[in-house]
Amino acid sequence: MSENATSSIRRSARAPRETPEQRAKKRRIQLSLGAALIVGVVLLGFYIQSQNPRGAVIWAVGLSFGYVLQRSRFCFTAAMRDPVLTGSTALTKALIMAMALASIAYLAIQMKSIGLLPADLNAENLDDLSTIPGNIRDVGVHTALGGFIFGIGAVVAGGCASGTFMRMGEGFVQQWIAVVFFIIGSVAGMAMLPPMKASGILYQEGAIYLPQLFGGWLPAIAVQFGMLFILYVLADWYGKKKAGEI
Amino acid sequence: MAERTLDCLGEACPIPLVKAQKAMDEMAVGDVLIVNIDHSCAMKNLPDWARSAGHNVEIEEVGEGEWDIIIEKAK
Repeated sequence: MSENATSSIRRSARAPRETPEQRAKKRRIQLSLGAALIVGVVLLGFYIQSQNPRGAVIWAVGLSFGYVLQRSRFCFTAAMRDPVLTGSTALTKALIMAMALASIAYLAIQMKSIGLLPADLNAENLDDLSTIPGNIRDVGVHTALGGFIFGIGAVVAGGCASGTFMRMGEGFVQQWIAVVFFIIGSVAGMAMLPPMKASGILYQEGAIYLPQLFGGWLPAIAVQFGMLFILYVLADWYGKKKAGEI
Repeated sequence: MAERTLDCLGEACPIPLVKAQKAMDEMAVGDVLIVNIDHSCAMKNLPDWARSAGHNVEIEEVGEGEWDIIIEKAK
């Protein structure tokens, strides 16, 4: 993403904003700040480890996640929005791949915690779905409603949760404003949860856990990965159609 | 050959793209559109869209976290 030395597009000449000396000076400042930041991050990691036995691991995973997110320009909002706006489904396909990878990992974790046999999936054993790793939550009207509101917010604010955090670090000041209202919105959402649950229309009790629903691991795996595969094929077809390749 | 500059500094992700798409519709083949952006996401989706639409695209980093997307309308 650097400047092109040889430009094929003719445009009016512009005076460079910075002299080479200014650039070199800025670069020196940035490098020393970066080095200081790495030292600070490592020291903070030691402190976090002293507070929580898994703190350093979580800290490192979080930082790596942010780094990958920033470098790859991966954006959950764009994955949902670009097919409509630009017809590009590259990020949509990347998101489906990410979901497939996460499914494999969660499958392993859940199989370990529940057990491999179909008998392990019976109702008594899985009475409380919230004990299974992986946030298995009630699904209903509230899911669709919340997703719709979140989607409006994400497009207006220019990023979802991870994207907002990543661009806060990049120095896009608007996201600092967005994150304040993100917190306000989250608190308001939590405050609205009890009346929503009481309304009976906006909130449905009952989570769906595919291995329990289909009575076995294999059908659940087939449905999960079959659905993701169909979505991937659809996204690929739509992207090619929009690009005029079909 | 006309040249047009679109100031999208401070505009979050989809706005520069939508503005550029509208501006491109009004321009003739061979015209150049320069979009000033400072939202990193637009640095990806704007060139992606312009390339898939068949235009010539260049990205120039004019400062830290500030880019010019230069699009030449090709068709």
